[in-house]
Amino acid sequence: MFNFKKRGTLLLVVMTMVAMFIVGCSNDAPAGDAELKSVVMGLDDTFAPMGFRDEKGELVGFDIDLATEVAARSGWDLSFQPIDWSMKETELNAGNIDLIWNGYTITDERKEKVNFSEPYLANAQIVITLSDSDIMKLSDLEGKAVATQAESSSLDAARAQTGLVESFMDGELIEYATFNEVFNDLEAGRADAIIVDEVLARYYMVNKGAEAYKVLEEDLGPEQFGIGVRKDDQELLTELDDALNAMKDDGKYDEIYGKWFAK
Amino acid sequence: MKILNMLVPMTIEGLKVTLGVFLVTLVFAIPLAVVVALLRRSNNRAISGVTATYIYIMRGTPLLLQLMFIFFGFHFVPVIGYAFSRFQAIYIAFILNYTAYFAEIFRGGINSIDLGQYEAAKVLGMSKPFTFIKVILPQVIKNVLPAIGNEVITLVKDTSLVYILGASDILKAAKSVSNVYSAFSPYVMIALVYLAIVAVLTKLLSNIERRYNYYR
Repeated sequence: MFNFKKRGTLLLVVMTMVAMFIVGCSNDAPAGDAELKSVVMGLDDTFAPMGFRDEKGELVGFDIDLATEVAARSGWDLSFQPIDWSMKETELNAGNIDLIWNGYTITDERKEKVNFSEPYLANAQIVITLSDSDIMKLSDLEGKAVATQAESSSLDAARAQTGLVESFMDGELIEYATFNEVFNDLEAGRADAIIVDEVLARYYMVNKGAEAYKVLEEDLGPEQFGIGVRKDDQELLTELDDALNAMKDDGKYDEIYGKWFAK
Repeated sequence: MKILNMLVPMTIEGLKVTLGVFLVTLVFAIPLAVVVALLRRSNNRAISGVTATYIYIMRGTPLLLQLMFIFFGFHFVPVIGYAFSRFQAIYIAFILNYTAYFAEIFRGGINSIDLGQYEAAKVLGMSKPFTFIKVILPQVIKNVLPAIGNEVITLVKDTSLVYILGASDILKAAKSVSNVYSAFSPYVMIALVYLAIVAVLTKLLSNIERRYNYYR
């Protein structure tokens, strides 16, 4: 026989426990020191070498080290929040995060949505093919399949070049969610060339063996990484710029740079 | 080996999210679905109409969009607007979505029970709630188990949608490891984890079905 009363009670207990668990989750804001200002940094934690997980699953990277140092100097209680990269400005403006700091390229389009810190790292959008490809310059890409990351500055840079995207196969770029998928497409031979962030691509190619790839000498122009701050958060922006400038002056920036981009 | 060293601990962390979303959704959605199914069958046109609209919206829009709406959009709604935390938004979206699917399964199950049973229960002097809980519901559960099992397995895989709100489930663990080592194999390993979870569930579901098979 089924004892529904007993089962009902059990179910009630389980549901109450789960409900408490859910409510508990809402209080997960870091308790921290009351005097420290709580700052949440949003990042795509799969973006090596800027911010990603190491072998132990801990967040590491150039941006992480830089941000930790800025937080220590500015008296912030800094926490890291992984986000989906396509949602970054939505997350920022909804107040879920206070900073977008993860190899975030300064573009005019983005300047309308967020305030940028002063640039802190130079980058370029480069075109990569497999080493045996006969593509040598941008004009050789005509009619070819070209891939890049969706919602990325690589995509913006390609679109900014008049007539470039239109010359590709089907007159458009193939867009993937992550750069890994973009590289995968190139290796699978579906894409003839890819447009990617130089900083990220160099890291990837060293991992995979650089001899398999060819970087075109022509690039899509230089650009710079900055940190995105909400438009109405002027105070945070000032603190950020002050700390970054001080770090550039006293050599701390170079020390962190050397750790990640030794060449 | 290096890949496994990194993937295993991250997968264990990710399992907390994947299985957490899975269990919370099931524990809430199944009982709620019985209630919603009854409301949907109500003779009161307002009640059944509202319930039908809810089911239409939940089944008619992607779960991914519902997640985004509840987390990024809900606080813009006047009067009832509220800014949910990440996991609150995830749980609410999954429970609301799966309740709608389960409710329709239960409604079909309840409709399949012969009217004569209600009449017989009435003749025997059983109250309406007693009839439903003790006579109708056990037969309904027995009949809907295969369909529920199908949804339960779909739910395991749907948990991967939490990426849009930045939650780190097991698929995200594979993505992280894949990025560090520029390798594809973490995805294959995570596929095996999903398969293992579904294997356990399949076994569990067939055991439950066997227990309800008392007339065969």
